[in-house]
Amino acid sequence: MTRQAERVVDGRFMEPPQPFVATMEMLDTLQPGEEMQLLLYREPHPLYRVLQQNGHGWRTELQDDGTFVVTIRC
Amino acid sequence: MQALLSYDQSPPLSAPLRFFLTAPLFLVLAGALGVLEGEALFASRWTPAALAATHLVTAGFMLQIMVGALIQILPVLAGANLARPRLIAGIVHPGLALGALALALGFLQSAPGWLHAAGVLLGGSLTVFIGAAGLAIFRVPSTSPSIRGLKLSVIGLAVTVASGLFMLLALAGGWAVPLMPLADLHAAWGLGGWAGILLAAVAYVVVPMFQLTPGYPAKPAWRFPLLLMAALLLWSLAWAVSAEALQRLAQAALAVGGLLFVGQTMKLQAARRRARPDSTFRYWQGALYASLLALLMLLASAVHPPLAGVPAWMGVFGVLILLAGLSAFIIGMLYKIVPFLLWLHLQPLARPGKPVPPMNKLLADKDGLGQWRLYLAALLLAVAAAIRPDWLAVPAGLCLMATAGWLWWNLAAGTRNYRRARLTAVSA
Repeated sequence: MTRQAERVVDGRFMEPPQPFVATMEMLDTLQPGEEMQLLLYREPHPLYRVLQQNGHGWRTELQDDGTFVVTIRC
Repeated sequence: MQALLSYDQSPPLSAPLRFFLTAPLFLVLAGALGVLEGEALFASRWTPAALAATHLVTAGFMLQIMVGALIQILPVLAGANLARPRLIAGIVHPGLALGALALALGFLQSAPGWLHAAGVLLGGSLTVFIGAAGLAIFRVPSTSPSIRGLKLSVIGLAVTVASGLFMLLALAGGWAVPLMPLADLHAAWGLGGWAGILLAAVAYVVVPMFQLTPGYPAKPAWRFPLLLMAALLLWSLAWAVSAEALQRLAQAALAVGGLLFVGQTMKLQAARRRARPDSTFRYWQGALYASLLALLMLLASAVHPPLAGVPAWMGVFGVLILLAGLSAFIIGMLYKIVPFLLWLHLQPLARPGKPVPPMNKLLADKDGLGQWRLYLAALLLAVAAAIRPDWLAVPAGLCLMATAGWLWWNLAAGTRNYRRARLTAVSA
């Protein structure tokens, strides 16, 4: 559980491009098949393109409070 | 900001910038009309001067910036790629700018030739834009409230353009058709279906991003564009069957929808984590209060229609919704978008130890704040001029000319700073 919690970038009150940078840095630490989450108040289309180019999978869920939870698979 | 606007597929700088640099000149012209036409501008919304000024602001200023901004941000707001942005901008920009000028001249001189020219220029260029933007946005799934809003706003623009073209043909050809109810419907689609829904779609992303606020709650954000669209369809039905009560119901629904959005945005701004108010925040704050007043007036006149006949009612409403509301939201956005774009397009020239100038050096926020204060003065004078045009139309017009000129100067100075930095970096 602790390890899972460490794998979350909460970018909701970060100034761009910090969420993008923090996500890419965290992705670098993951093993293939492991997952991380990015929390944002917008859908990160620029990030999606980079993830696609790098062969990562992702799924996105919009929560009631307006948070987009992006689960990224390394 | 980088996440919003940058990206490997960023269109060339000239594609959005050409719209941004010509648009403020139309606000200068609207101010000049206030100086030259004085009382006629506020006598009725149907005077040639009032029609010309309204369209200098809506088609000349607001529409140009919204189109230029969409060309830039569609890929990052929705993952939708506008094909050949330089070509699209090269076609749409001159058509829009010249079309808006021809439209204003056509209204002022009641000249069928100018009205026909406006129809060809605006109709042609906007058809190209709607086609290109529609192709891009309708290909992506509606995975967020913003994307749903963008799709509906493009439909809103299409209805606005179609109804506007019909009225142009009717005016130029002297057709015996009642235009006033259709003009109301055209304005409702333009301000609600296009500008209002687009504003919300963009705000869902930029308000949390620019002001570091919480996000818009998901359910209302999904429903707001649909509510506005349903109200507009109801209004259209009311127009088609000439049902006044139905039209008033639609008008009230539009006003309530708008008020809910404004209230939600005010609530988010109150919870912002960015302490220092910058020019964008000031513009949005002013625009929210003005929109609140304008939408309350819209609601009041839906409930009690004789209010719309009260002297100065429509003049005050027009100033509040167009200049103090929608235009102010747009200018606030410009002060974020333009310095970032200039900075972004300098990035390839950055070298180790020789970074490019920061955004605030390219377009200083203090210049935007100064321009905002004069804009606020122009707004207060314009509201007062709607009540006493004989005294205040000329000062209000002069003040609007000055602040719009200052806006242009700020944007042009940013562009000059960009060119200078580019030359310095290339020659180093």
